[in-house]
Amino acid sequence: MKPLMANLVLAGIALQLPLAASVLGKRLWRSFPIFATYSLSNLIVTLGLYALRRGVHVPLVNFYAYWICEGLSVLLGFGVVYELFRELFRPYDGLRRMAAAAFKWVLAGLVALACVVLYAQSSGEQNPLMSAVLVTEETARIVEVGLLVFLFAFSRAFGLHWRQNVFGIALGLGVFTSVELAGIALQTHIGPAAFQAFNLARALSFNASLLIWMVYILAPERITSTAELPQRAQLEQWNQAIMELIHQ
Amino acid sequence: MTTMIVVALALGAVALFYTAARNRSKQSRNSFRPVDVQALRTLLDRDDEIFLREHVSYRRFCRLKRRRISVTVRYVGRVAGNASVVMRLGESARLSPDPEVARAAAQVLDLAAQIRVQCLLAFVKLGAEFALPSLQLTPATLALKYQALRDNVMRLGALEMQNVAPAAVAI
Repeated sequence: MKPLMANLVLAGIALQLPLAASVLGKRLWRSFPIFATYSLSNLIVTLGLYALRRGVHVPLVNFYAYWICEGLSVLLGFGVVYELFRELFRPYDGLRRMAAAAFKWVLAGLVALACVVLYAQSSGEQNPLMSAVLVTEETARIVEVGLLVFLFAFSRAFGLHWRQNVFGIALGLGVFTSVELAGIALQTHIGPAAFQAFNLARALSFNASLLIWMVYILAPERITSTAELPQRAQLEQWNQAIMELIHQ
Repeated sequence: MTTMIVVALALGAVALFYTAARNRSKQSRNSFRPVDVQALRTLLDRDDEIFLREHVSYRRFCRLKRRRISVTVRYVGRVAGNASVVMRLGESARLSPDPEVARAAAQVLDLAAQIRVQCLLAFVKLGAEFALPSLQLTPATLALKYQALRDNVMRLGALEMQNVAPAAVAI
C-alpha cells in the first residue's frame, strides 16, 4: 500500500505542475482569483508536506502541518464555490436574486444538517483531538458538497449554460469533495483502521480532479451549432399555440 | 446510521456530477425542437375537456385527461428546452463589443430565464392537475413572457447577425 500511495502523491505533484502552468498561462486569476489561489496553494502545500514528511520525523509537527493546511484548503474551497455561484449567474440578472435567496436557505439547511451530524456522529477514533478534527472536517465538507449539489441542481432546473472552465472547476471540486466526505465519514466512524483506505481514495479522487480541471481549462469552448433550427413559420405557429395554452 | 446516510449522500453527489457531465455534452448539441401545433391545439381544448367530463365516466375522464397532461408536459418541456437554447445562444451575444447588442442580449437572457421559471411553475400546475384531474389550472403568464422573448430575440437578431441571428429568425 505504501509504494502505491507514494506513487499517487508523486503523480499528484506531477499533475499539479501543469495545472499551475495552465492557470497562469490562461490568466485564470483574473476571473477566478480564489480558484487560482486554491490550485497554486495546493501545489505549494503538497510539496511542503512531502518535504516535511521526508525531512522531519516528528509526528505531531506533521499532524498540525497537515490539518492546518487542510483547514485552509476547506476555506478556499468555500471561496471557490462562491466564485462558481458568481460566474454561473453573472449573465442572468433576474435569476441571480432568486438564486442568492435560495443559496442562503440551502446554506442554512446544510449548516443545520452539519450540526446534527456533529451532535449525532459516534467516533471510532480513540484520540479526542483527531476525533474532533475529523468531525469538524466532515461537517465542513457536508456544507461544501451540499452547496455544489445545489449549484448543479439549480442550473439543471433552470437550464443554465455552464461555460467550459466554470463547469470543469465545479465538476473537479465536486468529485474531490464528495469522495473526501465519504472517506472522512467512514474514517470518523471506523477509526484508524480506515486510514489507509481513506488516504488511497483521497489521493485517487484528488488526482482525478486535477485531470478534470486541466482538461476543462485547456479544452476550447464548444461552438454552438445553429444548423438545425426550425423554419420561422413553424415557430410562429408554435408561439401561437403557447398563447392558446395560456388563454384557454 | 449517520455515517451511512452521509456516505450515501456523498455517493449520490458523485452520481449527480457524473450525470451533469453527461448532460452537458448532450445540451451543447440541443437545438430548437418543432411541435405539432394542430395536435397540440386539439390537446389543449378546454371545451373538449368539458365535453369529455359530461359524456364519459369519471374514471375514463381521469385517464384521458392524464394522457393529455402527459403530452402537454412534453410540450412545456420543449418550450423550456428552447428557452435554454436561447440562453446559450444569447450568452455569446451578451459579450458583444456593441453595447446595444449586449443590452438586447441581456434582455433576451433575462426573459428566457423567466420563461424557465414559468415552465417550472407550469410543471407544478400540470402535476397538480395530473394528481387531481378535476382541477383546471393553467400556467398564467408563460405566453406573455414568451411573446416578449420573441420580440427581444428578433430585435437582437437584427442587431447581431452572427450566432444569435438564426435563433431570432426561428423564433
